[in-house]
Amino acid sequence: MRELRPWLQLILRRRGRLVAGGALLLATLISGIALLALSGWFLTETALVGLLFAAGVQAYINLYVPGSGIRFFAVSRTVSRYLERLYNHNTVLSLLTDIRVALFNRLAQAGKRQRGDKTGAQWLSRLTADVDALDTLYLRLIAPTALAALVTLMIVGLAWLLFSGTIALILLGILATAFGLATWGLYVRTRALSGQLNERQEQLRGQVIEHLEGFAELTAAGRTGKHSGRLMRHAFALSQSQAEVDARVGWHLSVTVLLVNLSAVIALWAGFGLFQQDLVSGPVLVLLPIALLGLGEVYGMLPEAFGKFGATLAAARRLNEDVQPADEQPGFQKRPAGQGAKQSALTASDLAVGHPGQSSVITHFSVAVEPGDRLGVVGVSGSGKSSLADTFAGLIDPVAGSLESLPCTYLTQTTVVFDDTVKANLLLGNPEATDGELWHVLELVELAERFSREVAGLDTWLGNGGSRLSGGEARRLVLARVLLSKAPLVILDEPFTGVDADTRGRIAPRIDQWLDGRAVISLGHGPEALLPSGHILHLN
Amino acid sequence: MAEPAQADIKGWLAGLARTSQRWINATVVAGTLAGLATIVQMVLLAWLVYQGVIAGEPVSALTPWFLVLVGMLVVRAVCQGLQTRFAARCSEQVRRHARRQLNDHWQAAGPVALSEASAASLAREWLDHVEALHGYFARFLPQMILATVIPLMILALVFWLDWLAGIFLLLSAPLIPLFMALVGMGAEKVNQQHFETISRLSGQFLDKVRGLTTLQLFGQTAQASDTLYQRSDQYRRITMKTLKVAFLSSAVLEFFSSVAIAVIAIYIGFGLLGYITFGPSDQLTLFSGLLILLLAPEFFQPLRTLSQHYHDRAAALGAGAEILARLQEPVSGAGNVQAQTKPTATADTIALSGVSLRYSDSPPVFDQLNMQVKRGEVIALTGPSGGGKSSLLHLLAGFIRPDAGTISVFGQSAGSSPFGWLGQKGFWIQGSWADNLRLTSPDASDIAIENALRRVGLAELLDSREQGINSRIGEDAQGLSGGQARRLSLARIFLADHELVLLDEPTAGLDATSEICVLEALHKLSEAGKTVIFSTHHQALLALANRVLIVSGAEVRNA
Repeated sequence: MRELRPWLQLILRRRGRLVAGGALLLATLISGIALLALSGWFLTETALVGLLFAAGVQAYINLYVPGSGIRFFAVSRTVSRYLERLYNHNTVLSLLTDIRVALFNRLAQAGKRQRGDKTGAQWLSRLTADVDALDTLYLRLIAPTALAALVTLMIVGLAWLLFSGTIALILLGILATAFGLATWGLYVRTRALSGQLNERQEQLRGQVIEHLEGFAELTAAGRTGKHSGRLMRHAFALSQSQAEVDARVGWHLSVTVLLVNLSAVIALWAGFGLFQQDLVSGPVLVLLPIALLGLGEVYGMLPEAFGKFGATLAAARRLNEDVQPADEQPGFQKRPAGQGAKQSALTASDLAVGHPGQSSVITHFSVAVEPGDRLGVVGVSGSGKSSLADTFAGLIDPVAGSLESLPCTYLTQTTVVFDDTVKANLLLGNPEATDGELWHVLELVELAERFSREVAGLDTWLGNGGSRLSGGEARRLVLARVLLSKAPLVILDEPFTGVDADTRGRIAPRIDQWLDGRAVISLGHGPEALLPSGHILHLN
Repeated sequence: MAEPAQADIKGWLAGLARTSQRWINATVVAGTLAGLATIVQMVLLAWLVYQGVIAGEPVSALTPWFLVLVGMLVVRAVCQGLQTRFAARCSEQVRRHARRQLNDHWQAAGPVALSEASAASLAREWLDHVEALHGYFARFLPQMILATVIPLMILALVFWLDWLAGIFLLLSAPLIPLFMALVGMGAEKVNQQHFETISRLSGQFLDKVRGLTTLQLFGQTAQASDTLYQRSDQYRRITMKTLKVAFLSSAVLEFFSSVAIAVIAIYIGFGLLGYITFGPSDQLTLFSGLLILLLAPEFFQPLRTLSQHYHDRAAALGAGAEILARLQEPVSGAGNVQAQTKPTATADTIALSGVSLRYSDSPPVFDQLNMQVKRGEVIALTGPSGGGKSSLLHLLAGFIRPDAGTISVFGQSAGSSPFGWLGQKGFWIQGSWADNLRLTSPDASDIAIENALRRVGLAELLDSREQGINSRIGEDAQGLSGGQARRLSLARIFLADHELVLLDEPTAGLDATSEICVLEALHKLSEAGKTVIFSTHHQALLALANRVLIVSGAEVRNA
């Protein structure tokens, strides 16, 4: 349960909203119960008085109070339901935002190393699913549970007042059992299965993707049938586990409803005893069982949520692991620049590069880059080129050796375009840049014409992941972003991926000129992929 | 992929429903019985109140009836429990069926057509979209029927008790179908809006998380967090505007049910007092009056449940659209009857006769192509990119079927017996080296596996692992380089010992070590008398071949 604490704290920041929403829920529920209970009371009263009338006995009945009460509850049930849905939907959407912003902030605090390899599409899809699971925490879990407990106590109190302490205690016992079965009992019975479902599904996803990636080889070997049969079996086993969870939820729900109804029956039976001793009146005798029947509605909301509680906890646990605070340093940091009279842009000596916990990909690497220098690094994929670039840029720490550098700007191997405007994407490189400067760098990478044709110009929306750009255009855009930065050291990893040779030939010299006086390290799979470089190192 | 028509999606869902009609029926029967038990429960409750309060029966005389009532509660609970059990079973069957359909489609489409979609999106269809069908079959579909049957049963009973009260009930739910449409429209709008907002929100969030390293590099994470917050808040405000209206439809349902209860209660009350001088109200007793009151909420409950399950329908239609679009994708060469006729060539040659192939409107890749390869030959295919080398290999592999002509591979049709295939990307699964090789040769011995790995130059890597072939491939969290993955695929070919081996650009983009390993491996295969056909531009590979064929301009000729 501890895994929920950070998320509960986040949700509880909106305590006022939660309480108000809960009050509206309570009003809806009580209106519904009161409408029926009061109607039942009214019918019994009129039936008894009607008998007296029929017998010719003079009797008095107040029709005004119960009549207006019934009308009031009919309206208040409708109005409070509408307001409750509207208000709580607003709350849920606010919480949705809170959770995502908080999670983003925590992820941002951790450096690349802490995130490790958690950048793939699969991790992102899992992250989405986990965050979605937390969205339902308030409306599905916290609110109905609190409400069920509260209304139960209110009705038991009513039984105490109208009937007797003993009957109230018996009802409390039955309802507490129902409550326990619908919440904790169900959670305990589904926790293991429900908690694994997500992980099992992600495992299966991995297997399906493998199956599809190897489809040609498997087809050639005549093994697709066998292999897909295995996937089908795993998927079916997963469905069966889900069905098992569903069935348990169903049984707990029906037993909960049974107990709630049973409490109404017992209230009626015990009430008859009191009625025949003239301790309670007929109308009051009818009122309590009907009120108890009305509890079924709120109790019915519990099992569905608690059947998924195991999965919700597992999701919270995974998210907590994702955003574990950095152990030593607070995440990403700029390395201090080297001292001394003559300042190098970058000095590396006896550097070992690699990801922590794995063998180094590059060892005993030494280099010195002066301002204005052009260093090229060539290596095939897997030679540790990108790890070297990450290390230079300070994304990962060197495994051994020393490294000193000036502030740098870094074009990563992956092209990252945000779902935003051209302008917003470029301003990341230099928030102070003017529109004129933006057009200038776009000119440099031959994108100015492309966007000047668009009506929105710099405010052109680029779509999800830059989907409105071709691969080459996206690459040139992120290149322009890096060029906007004024940092004295520029690191470019595969600057021209997806850019055709002609364009590359035209823009490379212009970029070289633009970066005049600054140190540039460009890395690529071959010399043609680099900026014109005075000195080229080959990685083996 | 073209978006299938709404009617087609509904037809497909109906087809799936037919496959597990038995379970749907069982669910509906259990639900109807639970509804009946609820009605009986209310009858008994009202009757007991009447007997106790009006008729003045002592408790002891009523106790047996109380026990019957408790029995009825148990029946209701059992039926409800069975209803969910059957519903879960139904959805289980439906999902299995839908997955099998997708599997069969993959099989029919073959590797080439399949590789046009990303593996991740195909996997999403197979897993998540099929999963999204669950609620529709387990909840919505049975509830559709129950929301008609149970209110009708209650209505009939109320009419029998007091037709005027029945009319009140009927008036409050003018016509059940109309009501359902009203609920449906509202619920659909709400769900659509809700899911759109969530997916936009998630999109914004994921967009920022995906580019987090870039944001950190530029020191812009705080600004990104602000943007995320503002965008999300903007979505929230827009959504709330729509929801104000959309929630009205459920408020209407709520209003009608509340008003119906209030009107009935007041009508019955006045009737019991004898204030109403017309209609059937002089027949009312506390029994019939209370029963009508108790049944009124049960009359509306199934409709409310249905409106709660409405999003299941929207989810199933959305997922169904994507699955169906995949299933409706044409399968290549399916119309070519000639290609399916039994090839006649001898068992010692691979023969193509009169083979034509073209992709949609582009010029033909091959036109009336004839070609023969003898058993044991090593053939290199070369030529400009886009000239048809890969297409020719795919034809020989049976991955695509020609538009005309026949292909015979050692007397059988292409692809009908196993062969070795090496694509441009190597392929490995999470698991041990042995698992990876047994994928295509399940009965291989440990020694054979180790030998195969040694023959492709993976010995060094293997020796560095403590558990040898039983160590996991990805245990250093790095997996395999492109070259290593391709050598692993080659090891599978060695292990399986196929007569025919087809390789598509086996050395493209490889590092020097891997290149040498692949060359040596191919040499070994040819020495072993295998028929080897590969496409390449690589000089050393061309030298390895007995024959070099140039594939270009819709024809194949000797170099």
